[in-house]
Amino acid sequence: MDEQELIAGCLRGRMEDFRMIVERYSAPAMALAMNILGNRDDAEDACQELFIQVFRHLKSYDKDRSFKNWIYTILYRRCLDHLKRRRRSAELVKKMGRETVMTTPANPGHSHPPRSLPSGLLEQLKAKERTALCLWANEGYTAQEISEVLRCSASTARVYLFQARKKIKNLLEQGHVSLQNG
Amino acid sequence: MSRCKTVELFYALVPLKPWRGNLIRRHVEKCPRCLAGLASREAAGSLLVQERGVNIGRPLWAEVESALVADSGGKRMKDQAFQSSVMRRWGWAVATTFLVVLVTAFLLLRDFRPERIPAATNVPPRFELEYIRVSGQPANAVVYQPQGSNLIVVWAGKNP
Repeated sequence: MDEQELIAGCLRGRMEDFRMIVERYSAPAMALAMNILGNRDDAEDACQELFIQVFRHLKSYDKDRSFKNWIYTILYRRCLDHLKRRRRSAELVKKMGRETVMTTPANPGHSHPPRSLPSGLLEQLKAKERTALCLWANEGYTAQEISEVLRCSASTARVYLFQARKKIKNLLEQGHVSLQNG
Repeated sequence: MSRCKTVELFYALVPLKPWRGNLIRRHVEKCPRCLAGLASREAAGSLLVQERGVNIGRPLWAEVESALVADSGGKRMKDQAFQSSVMRRWGWAVATTFLVVLVTAFLLLRDFRPERIPAATNVPPRFELEYIRVSGQPANAVVYQPQGSNLIVVWAGKNP
């Protein structure tokens, strides 16, 4: 079924059409969210928030724009919110002097999910750089398309991508241990 | 070679993104030597989570649907609360208007009640003659009442 038909169906209140949109975009959205956030649980939360927001704001979607780009823009914002929340809670825990509680959870399988990205990528690359890199490498986006998702100029998107590629090249050349995937 | 070094120097010297973006667009993206210093699409992709490698662990649609249903339920309750609040406001407005009309009517009508109109009995007794005619002609009349007496004398004479 055509994407525009699905959107029109959603706007008419057909939940079946919206389910198809969710199923169509959940995998690419999850991949992007995991690349930005670095773990599966947060990525799933971000995707859930994304689709709720998409459903609520579908009326404001501009049909001249790429739907996938629009979804990625919302997802990117949600991921940034998650990162902010994570940073704030980390600061709070640090202030309370309970870092040990966070690093050694009672149920490591659930509370401290294994990272899906190589830790070198998470440490070295900023969220914007990871987003730009993921869109470029996975989706084949150009700097212009990346800039639409990041809501910045094409020049700025080009710089993020350049820096990300340079850092990865350096990490690969150094044979960084933590770059081993998984 | 020297051009690449110059670009690198300018890139490092001016930390402005538009400037840097311009340098990348004009030189780096076209220069094989500079591109060799950057990770390729394949190399970057091998480190990232790929779409085909993602298996959604949680039933995402079920969670989204339940969240939307809960949201629409909350919205319906909000709508009902809003409607009842609107109805309550309208009720108050109608009641207030009715009260204002009632009070205004009372105040207006109070002045026109019959007892408010001065009764004839309350008017002090007085003697009135509209006109006196003698031989069909208005007369030359004189009305006289002595002080302290109820006697009124009317003297009428023919006009000359």
